[in-house]
Amino acid sequence: MSRHRDRPYRLGDAPRILSREECDAIAERVFRFARGRASDTRVGIWSWWQGEMRWGRNRVSLASDRRDVIIKIWRGSPFGSYGSALTNQVDDVSLEAAVRAAERELDLMDEDPPAAYLPPLPTLEQPKTSIWSDATYGLTTEARGEVARALVDSAEAKGMLSAGYAEVRAAAKAIISSEIRAGRPSMFETPYTAWTHAQCSMTVRDQQGTGSGWAGLSAYDWKKIDAPALAERALDKCLRSRNPVGLEPGRYTVILEPQAVADLIESVVGWLSDRERAEQGHGPFVLGGDDVLGIVRTKLGLKVVDERITISHDYADPALGIVHEVGAGTAPVTWIDHGVLTALSYPREYGLAMLGESSGLRGTTGYRMSGGDTSIDEMIQTTKRGLLVTRFWNVGTFDEHSLLSTGLTRDGLWLIENGKITKPVKNFRFTESPLFVLNSIEQLGTPVPVFRPTASGSGELTPAIVPPLKARDFSFTSLVDAV
Amino acid sequence: MTINRRDFIKAGAMAASLAALPRPLLAATRPPRVSLPAITDPDVRELAMRALDAARSAGATYADVRLTHEFQRQFSANGFGDAETMEVGVRALVQGYWGFASGPVWTPDEMARLGQEAYHQAKTNALGKTRVVDLAPAPVVANGHWATPVEIDPLQLSPFEIMDHLTSLDIYTPRVNPNAYVGQNSCAFTWQEKAFASTEGSYYTQRVCTGAGTLAVVLLDKKTGRRDARLVDRLTVSSVGWELYRGQPIREEIRRLVEELEEDMRLPLKPVDVGRYDTVIDAWSVSKLLSETIGRATELDRALGYEANAGGTSYLSDPFGMVGTYQAGASALHVTAERSAPGGAATVKWDDEGVEPDAFTLVKDGVLVDFQTTRESAGWMKDYYTKTGQPIRSHGCAVADSAIDAPLQQPPNLTMRPGREALDFDAMVSGLDDGLAVRDLKADMDFQHLNGLGTGRFYEVKKGKRVALINQAGILFRAPELWKGIRALGGSGSARRFGSYTSKGEPAQAAPHSVTAVPAVFKQLTLIDPQRKA
Repeated sequence: MSRHRDRPYRLGDAPRILSREECDAIAERVFRFARGRASDTRVGIWSWWQGEMRWGRNRVSLASDRRDVIIKIWRGSPFGSYGSALTNQVDDVSLEAAVRAAERELDLMDEDPPAAYLPPLPTLEQPKTSIWSDATYGLTTEARGEVARALVDSAEAKGMLSAGYAEVRAAAKAIISSEIRAGRPSMFETPYTAWTHAQCSMTVRDQQGTGSGWAGLSAYDWKKIDAPALAERALDKCLRSRNPVGLEPGRYTVILEPQAVADLIESVVGWLSDRERAEQGHGPFVLGGDDVLGIVRTKLGLKVVDERITISHDYADPALGIVHEVGAGTAPVTWIDHGVLTALSYPREYGLAMLGESSGLRGTTGYRMSGGDTSIDEMIQTTKRGLLVTRFWNVGTFDEHSLLSTGLTRDGLWLIENGKITKPVKNFRFTESPLFVLNSIEQLGTPVPVFRPTASGSGELTPAIVPPLKARDFSFTSLVDAV
Repeated sequence: MTINRRDFIKAGAMAASLAALPRPLLAATRPPRVSLPAITDPDVRELAMRALDAARSAGATYADVRLTHEFQRQFSANGFGDAETMEVGVRALVQGYWGFASGPVWTPDEMARLGQEAYHQAKTNALGKTRVVDLAPAPVVANGHWATPVEIDPLQLSPFEIMDHLTSLDIYTPRVNPNAYVGQNSCAFTWQEKAFASTEGSYYTQRVCTGAGTLAVVLLDKKTGRRDARLVDRLTVSSVGWELYRGQPIREEIRRLVEELEEDMRLPLKPVDVGRYDTVIDAWSVSKLLSETIGRATELDRALGYEANAGGTSYLSDPFGMVGTYQAGASALHVTAERSAPGGAATVKWDDEGVEPDAFTLVKDGVLVDFQTTRESAGWMKDYYTKTGQPIRSHGCAVADSAIDAPLQQPPNLTMRPGREALDFDAMVSGLDDGLAVRDLKADMDFQHLNGLGTGRFYEVKKGKRVALINQAGILFRAPELWKGIRALGGSGSARRFGSYTSKGEPAQAAPHSVTAVPAVFKQLTLIDPQRKA
């Protein structure tokens, strides 16, 4: 990583992403434009490049190469209010105009209400983490084209229709403070960080639209994505899912493939990231109010899910590289330890104010969920009657406390009878809580990386390693005859 | 030729001198940042031509280029924020394959690089199997210019004026009822300037103003602690200026919403009695249903499977077999489309491939008669258009967020034909002996836009009166049956237009469009408690 971090990235004359030196140079130019009462100027610089390949009906429908820069400028006092403005142009006039706009906004604000004073971080502790891959950055348009053609060929040879998307991305960010650069305290800087990301997913359907199969994977490293295996999987699922039969809604034993588990537990994972909200009485990890002390008790220290479940993150895990958040700690985190809620994440401000700690606890941007040693085949063999789920789609939460959710099965659902897959089944809408599922587990399989592409907006890495599982009494509430 | 950004320099100098002025004067002065270099500047055209030349000389059979310059200002009652972006994107067609390249740099060299790169992207894929693209003919636009007609340019106003206006709504609301207050209160206005050029000789520049606001009115029941909120529904995304707020009866709307919330709080709260009911649905909710069913299902690329790996496909799964014969709804259902209505969220003069969108009919007296198209997808409709004696032309539905994104087919503004009788929501409720009334519906659809779960504000109606509010209610429906079950449509006086964003593609892009709908009575919808497990 460090080998590449300082390299100026150039393709011909045009930079694909900005180097550390280029970011520093932009910030220095911005600092010069600062006027007025505000002492601090913070410059956030994000740059990204994407090579993209999209296909439909067995032909590439668009191949693209795109890149952009976002520069956000804050003007304010180091520990008070900030005005901000955004531009994507790096010429002096645009930068100066953005500085003026930030100052105009600051002028509207009340005179610096004394914000919580945050002591400067003693050191900018940076974890060793796997987030840069030359294979991703170097995957050429030609190589992407070959990959897409090979993926399509396997479906086309069987008379099926493939649609899909492959993307390689590189991005960098830095937030630079004039106060810190001048040796004075300010809230924070974010050191220059560059990362890559790759994703590949596809959907294979039959010509009549009676069957649909999906497979996909994302990772920082293109080499970790076995695209032909994904194509084979999507095709196999398509072929086996044709002409599904309708089943009555009801409670079923389900075998959830890892992707389905990840899709389902997204709300659980999200709430693990917010200790403060829990202490304000929100979310599933609230135990209840304590009328004597006038506080809300959380479920920290209590068993919340099956004891076989541990949800954790470790920077040393090469499959869990994430872009480090300054002040959020670099030590391994375990949010759920053998079923017990052991940690809820919080920002540094909260750590200082409430816990007397100098750092925050990072969120569940990347996570690993523990598993077991039962293969999906074994799960099937030991099931008298149940359903095998490829993935869920459009999962939404009704209730923040129970996490009761609804969503749909998609791209492959099968009936299991007496230890065998017997027939494809029409899709269902479910009404179920992921917490109920995590408390109704029968068997768990080996955790594997799943498709969890970059966060929208920030474009940062969100890797997850999740096992397949078998659970009892999953509630399917209505039939959905869409394929 | 270079873009020296001389006008920017002027603007910068002005900004510097203004910074020395005391705040009230500064506030009263129009913001020094204006959209420059003007999109109509000949230098911009030169840049566009440079990109086209590069793509054409590399070997592209067709290419187009867009340069966009966007200025957005977001407001809340106590602040505002500015964002300005410039992008350029070049699209090239080589032997039936599309390539696209985009970035933020407006220089002649970068234009050449992007032109070549777009060609390179396309050419790399043209190495594979044959693919044919027949672009539907489009008249050449020779140096056109168009701008959204705006009464009050929101970016020429002092931001204080807009913030004060938002604040005044905060102050007004508790005067209607001391237990009422404003929840969310924000708005955003965007000017996007665009220059478009194609190798067929078209060149246009266009300035589109988009505005949208969010204003939530909350009512607290002091006795029970229950809170209930409604959105002011006339501030949805549209192509208008500050007249979105100014001169509009927003206070009347707040008053009406507070009254309706008070009324709802007086109603008993009932659990769901699962069953089938005739249902009156308000114009807002009908617009959501239309947008999420027919609005999405008639995207031709989606119907053919191009979106299969993203949002999904369409229940109009055999578009060429269905068009002209498929019964999409009752004969009262008639849906037209355009991108020209003043204020419409999708309204433009030309789309993102240089086509002037036409007005067309998607559903004629209940029968599916057309699809939403671009220049490429219009060609797929060739047989049908020929058979029915229609010209093969794009409906002008190519849309991209900005030039950083490649155009996709996105929904135009849709309009539902009102019923003949002068009915409105209240009249429909009055005419219902036993059934449901629904407001503020959200439609949650499957990946073919076929099966839906509608959640929102449900009332029990008995003998023409709303007698109870139903707790945690939802309707399950299938799109074709829903529209075939229209019993009555509101009259033209009850028609309302609402803007919203729809999203598609990989990477995903959101595009705004408007839907004009009337309240309607539907036959025998299935009421469920969506939170009840099996």
